[in-house]
Amino acid sequence: MYLNSQNIFKIGASNLLFFSLLCLTSCTEETEIQTYYIPPEYEGPVVAWKLPPNWGENPELSGPMAGSFHVKTNSGPQGRIGVMPFREAVSTLSITNMFGMELGYEKFKEDTLSQVLTTKKVGQKKFEWIHLTERDSPSDPKTALLAVLRQKDETWLFPFVANAALIDQEMNSFISFLDSTTVRAGKKVIRAPRPISAAPTDKPTGAPTWDAPDHWITGKASTVRIASYTVSDEDGNELDFSITSFPGDVGGLQSNVNRWLTQIELPKIESLESTPYLTSYSIDEKDAHLFLAENTEKTIYGALLFGKSRSWFFKIMGDTSLAKVEKENFLNLLTTVCFHDH
Amino acid sequence: MNNQSKKKKSAYTVGARQKAFPWVVPFASVRLTLTLLSLSMILIFVATLEQVRIGIRGAQAEYFESFYGIWYYPEQFWGGSFLSVVPLPIPGGYLLGGLLIINLIAAFVTRFQWSGKKIGIQIIHLGIILLLIGQMTTQAIQVESRMQINKGESSDYIERFHGVELALTDVTDANRSKVVSIPEELLKPGSTLRVPGFPFKVRVKAFGPNCSFDFKESAAQRSKITMDVNRGIGASANLSLSPRDEDYSNDAANFGYLVFQLVNGSEELGTWLAVAHPAGNDRWKFVHTKLEGMAFQPLRHEGRLWGVELRSIREYLPYSIELLKIENEFYQGTDIPHNFESHVNLNLESGQKRKALVYMNTPLRHGGKTFYQYQMNKAADYTVFQVIRNPSWLVPYIACILLSVGLLWQFSFHLINFLRKQSKVSA
Repeated sequence: MYLNSQNIFKIGASNLLFFSLLCLTSCTEETEIQTYYIPPEYEGPVVAWKLPPNWGENPELSGPMAGSFHVKTNSGPQGRIGVMPFREAVSTLSITNMFGMELGYEKFKEDTLSQVLTTKKVGQKKFEWIHLTERDSPSDPKTALLAVLRQKDETWLFPFVANAALIDQEMNSFISFLDSTTVRAGKKVIRAPRPISAAPTDKPTGAPTWDAPDHWITGKASTVRIASYTVSDEDGNELDFSITSFPGDVGGLQSNVNRWLTQIELPKIESLESTPYLTSYSIDEKDAHLFLAENTEKTIYGALLFGKSRSWFFKIMGDTSLAKVEKENFLNLLTTVCFHDH
Repeated sequence: MNNQSKKKKSAYTVGARQKAFPWVVPFASVRLTLTLLSLSMILIFVATLEQVRIGIRGAQAEYFESFYGIWYYPEQFWGGSFLSVVPLPIPGGYLLGGLLIINLIAAFVTRFQWSGKKIGIQIIHLGIILLLIGQMTTQAIQVESRMQINKGESSDYIERFHGVELALTDVTDANRSKVVSIPEELLKPGSTLRVPGFPFKVRVKAFGPNCSFDFKESAAQRSKITMDVNRGIGASANLSLSPRDEDYSNDAANFGYLVFQLVNGSEELGTWLAVAHPAGNDRWKFVHTKLEGMAFQPLRHEGRLWGVELRSIREYLPYSIELLKIENEFYQGTDIPHNFESHVNLNLESGQKRKALVYMNTPLRHGGKTFYQYQMNKAADYTVFQVIRNPSWLVPYIACILLSVGLLWQFSFHLINFLRKQSKVSA
């Protein structure tokens, strides 16, 4: 068949019809799994590891922990290994004291720290290596092996708390675990506890750590008032935040609620039932009470936690207009409180 | 020579063409044209009624972006109590549009006279064919997305208004992140997906386009659909879900959800819940602090950190747009917007920067995409562009030019003939 004008016309017309039908049937996108690379946009901390085969991961993380693990043994999970991000300012002394006092040590000072501190290189990383063994417990004492990694503007703590025999047995696993870790703070502030050194030296046993907003100005602490911050705005409004701790229940819930109500000139409550100021709350998985009370000028937001031997009070008090602005920050702070006891 | 020219001419006569394509002739029928136009009017009428019930997007999908739609006679109309139960099939936009194109092309081939006198008519019809093809192509391949940029920041991706994907992002490396995305079409409940580049298989337990959710005190109180969730935010926040139908209304806020299990070989690693926020997962923190992590649910494996999220279908661009300044104006004394303006820097692939101003009806075009000013929040200092990718955006312009040329030609031809006749009569 040779191409004359009639054939060309036939082919052209047929193609036109075919094209229009094709357009109607084939204009859909393919759906498939895609893999691609992008510049990093995740702003949170990056914490990754490779677990040794005989370790297990604790699904529930408390407070500042970025990771929590145990050793699988025939008698069940034992020991506790963690990954904790810290603010840049944390000192080795503070970290050592945080665990040392729990294990019966006297408070360490700069000149006594060298008794328990060495350095250890694991792969490309250099760790501060703190070995603390429980005092007054000669047979298989409780031990805390603390590996502290310092990177630019970041401090990462890897505590391994277990009996001494288990730590010895798992030393190689712990070292290979440390080698496998990738830790990076990212752009966001690491959600981490304020170092223990921020509080006074004679702070009550089992003191919590917390994460305060950056714009809160740290105030003077004391034996009872273990944390103190002030917040102010351009209009002269001010708030005072405090964490206080007392032995016992200090008169109980109702008495403390009434004390706070009196401070902002609100009438005392007759009973705890159906009071509008209190709701059940949880701080570091402990039952607590959230207190919210305000009048036109003054406001108190607080949380009351009655422990076995001590009571803890978290309170922000001051001008109502500023309190409303800072309410979210106060509630956020409560979620960061950690007693490091579980 | 004379015979040859006659032969050539005969090949273009209507009779010769009908003889050459006898099977095309029935498609060229004027009756078919009129029938299709009448059905198009019915389609528009029905879709307009249905728009009230299912929204613009629903009506568009049901009647215009389909070959047929099912319509139920409204109960409020006369005899509605009887007739409303009968499903009435309505020919859809693709069917009518497609048949109209075929009808016009067939008429072009077998019915129209190809002569200088009628060339205006032919150009007009060619324009109409192009208009129809352009519209259908647009409906089939046009993609609408949004880009939200905070003031002082830049964005290099756009997100679809509708549809979600499961995104698995490996953020371990400091220099780049690896993204594996699974489109919603593959997230069928009961299916198990082997995901290239991801160490686990994904077993889909439940998926839906919309849901409502609330917090429960314990896992036992959760709804059946989230009862098994034991990892991630769904477990820690004790989220309970109730599936809902997709909302097609203009101000719809659909929260797509996915309950899935990760499987390593034969080992089940746990069950996760992911919910997509319609305005972007970074908005979860404003819904509740417990849900902030929905934007990145961590998953660690073999020294790698993955983030899991269900999000609007995302497309990354080889360039980025930086928001420099935003301005909005309202008609005096009202909340009616008069003008929204976004001053942006277009950061090109080559590393060069180009300043641009995007405001109402004056979009920014780049890389086959058109960025229209869509929303703005001056208080929160962000702007939202509606991003249209429509490769056939030029077709309607060409079609309109053809129509104008055809009409001009045809009217001019008749006008000149008329004037000639008039001058002859007067002479």
